[in-house]
Amino acid sequence: MKNNVKISRMKLSISQQHLARKVGVARQTIGLIEKGRYNPSLKLCIAIAKELDATLDDLFWEEEEE
Amino acid sequence: MRSWITFLLPEDEYKERKMLFFFAESGVLLFAVLAILLVTNSYFTFDAGTVLLLGVALFLFYITTRYMFAGIEYTDVVTEKAYRKERKVTFLRSLSFLGIFVVLYAIFLGIPSDRGEWMDVIGISMITAIIMFVTTYISLKRSYKKNKELL
Repeated sequence: MKNNVKISRMKLSISQQHLARKVGVARQTIGLIEKGRYNPSLKLCIAIAKELDATLDDLFWEEEEE
Repeated sequence: MRSWITFLLPEDEYKERKMLFFFAESGVLLFAVLAILLVTNSYFTFDAGTVLLLGVALFLFYITTRYMFAGIEYTDVVTEKAYRKERKVTFLRSLSFLGIFVVLYAIFLGIPSDRGEWMDVIGISMITAIIMFVTTYISLKRSYKKNKELL
């Protein structure tokens, strides 16, 4: 699943390790989410969104191009 | 979701999901092997001990192998320095196991009396230590490779 987690994280200058620690998962899990290789649970999506000060729409909603 | 198996699963949700898949795959594989043995039971005779040992060994071997190659054990090893450090720890741990095994053997079963017994003890502990090192090393190497790709 495509998402904007990496962009949002980098805008805030937060490392993968820091974000992982804050949301209670492994660094590898954050990397997999950013690469679109793992679809996180809704609970984890919300935790990431809160930590990145963004909405679920900002992070996970795909804009369809017309 | 609550389940009694939770105590066997890791905290991290990705690892948890992977482990659940490994357990499930292994369970299905075990079922298939047991079903085949049941069907062929009239053609080949296996004693109960062999079948039970085969079942347990297959279940554990499958999960361990999948876990080892999945690269999910060392989730934080990203740099070359961390990788080298962890590799050193793995080597030392295997070496410690070798020493501890020999000492415990001598304490509980007595000091080997002849060369043959010494060879047996050292042989078994060496093989176990080597398997321990190789499996951990593969897991570490796979984890490091996977982590680097995810940066």
